[in-house]
Amino acid sequence: MATKKRRTPNIQSDSWVVIAAGSVIDSQMHDSNPAFVRLRNPSTDEASLYMLGSCDEQLYEVKAFDEDFHSWFVGQTVQRDGRLLFVTPMDPLYLILPYLIKSGKEGKFQPVDQVVMDEEFPACCRLLRCTRSLASLHHIAEEKEVGGLKFHRYSEEKTMNWLQKKVERTVVALKKRNISVGEGVKSTTYVRVKSESDYCEEDYLRYAHGLISEYISEDLSKALLRHLQLPELTSPKETEPPSKKRKLSDKPVEAGEDYTKFNSADFARKPPKKMTAAQKTLAKVDKTGMKPMSSFFSPKVKVEKK
Amino acid sequence: MSCNTSVTHVHVSSVDQAQKAPVHLIPCEIEHNGPAQVSQYFTATIKDRKHEKTVSFRGRGLKGQELSCPQGYTGLVLKEINKPGSDQEDRTVKVSSVFDKLTYWNLETPPNSDDTVVRAMDWPDLAEAVSTFNKINLKFMVQ
Repeated sequence: MATKKRRTPNIQSDSWVVIAAGSVIDSQMHDSNPAFVRLRNPSTDEASLYMLGSCDEQLYEVKAFDEDFHSWFVGQTVQRDGRLLFVTPMDPLYLILPYLIKSGKEGKFQPVDQVVMDEEFPACCRLLRCTRSLASLHHIAEEKEVGGLKFHRYSEEKTMNWLQKKVERTVVALKKRNISVGEGVKSTTYVRVKSESDYCEEDYLRYAHGLISEYISEDLSKALLRHLQLPELTSPKETEPPSKKRKLSDKPVEAGEDYTKFNSADFARKPPKKMTAAQKTLAKVDKTGMKPMSSFFSPKVKVEKK
Repeated sequence: MSCNTSVTHVHVSSVDQAQKAPVHLIPCEIEHNGPAQVSQYFTATIKDRKHEKTVSFRGRGLKGQELSCPQGYTGLVLKEINKPGSDQEDRTVKVSSVFDKLTYWNLETPPNSDDTVVRAMDWPDLAEAVSTFNKINLKFMVQ
């Protein structure tokens, strides 16, 4: 008879296994260090962990790849926390966008440094220091210059076009990487049963839309769906786009939690239930403010074809 | 919400002193953080066959495969130094080890390209399409 073993809470973990863009550690030219910061996640409106590169030049997102029951051997040490963190470059406009939308409701042109302010997340003003932030605001806002000063006002039309380009680029990347996007993906096995040519364009578009929806609000996600002329899927359970599934995976996000404390006692793992591999992946809970990669792995939605 | 104001600095200069370490992703949770005789009891018993590695760990057969970091990316093990007393203080991590490939191990099942960790390595490439600006930037990152 198997006795239920009580897991000791993992509180001592003080190291992390990370795969980071080379630019993060390319410190040759700079003397300031990159830093992990908490910023408002545009999709959840909660805190998430990001990284600002040296001199705030580049924003990075931090995603945790997490499978149950994994640990690391690093050299001659054991690291209990089996997560693998990915630090990848990110367009700061995604994080600036919610602030512009909010101030855009007033309908006025405003100086952007007065718009991107947040008591809860004071680091947000550093987003404007990223190399391309100011130069690319015109993708999401109308610009006016008065006396050498620039003023901006959110433009949904521009934003939709900007997001559409992102979707198109994502579709290209999905095809190039031969990533399974269709209903042929068997959630329990992840076996690629269909070749690329078997997927229709709509499968790719929906998958890409789902990925991008991780970076925008739900309202914007719906508007983008209309802009892409993709009908909203009807039956709510089976046909939710991957973006909606994050609801499942993100539910107990304790984003306010300090990320170094992610395995404190209240996170002690619950006894495993019988789950398929896909459910396991979906159930990966982001306890740390790092976004899980579940949407990327979530089984693609069955698209109702009529 | 004060903890949102604390940041974690990454001492990048420590990367020069960081040693390359062999990194293994083990398919079980080990309730321990700290030193272990990995090379003596684990690495030494790895059998390297044509397409897969095998090892016996606590009586279970593991099958493993080496996986390279995506192009333009580096594997880092970050370690916290001088843990602060409160969650409002800034923290600091240093690079304690670096790696350009890792070995992941499956319980019984032979490693294959549909293993989730293999697919996870697709993420950086996809992330650059989803969330970065343009091709110019992409090239810059890969340099």
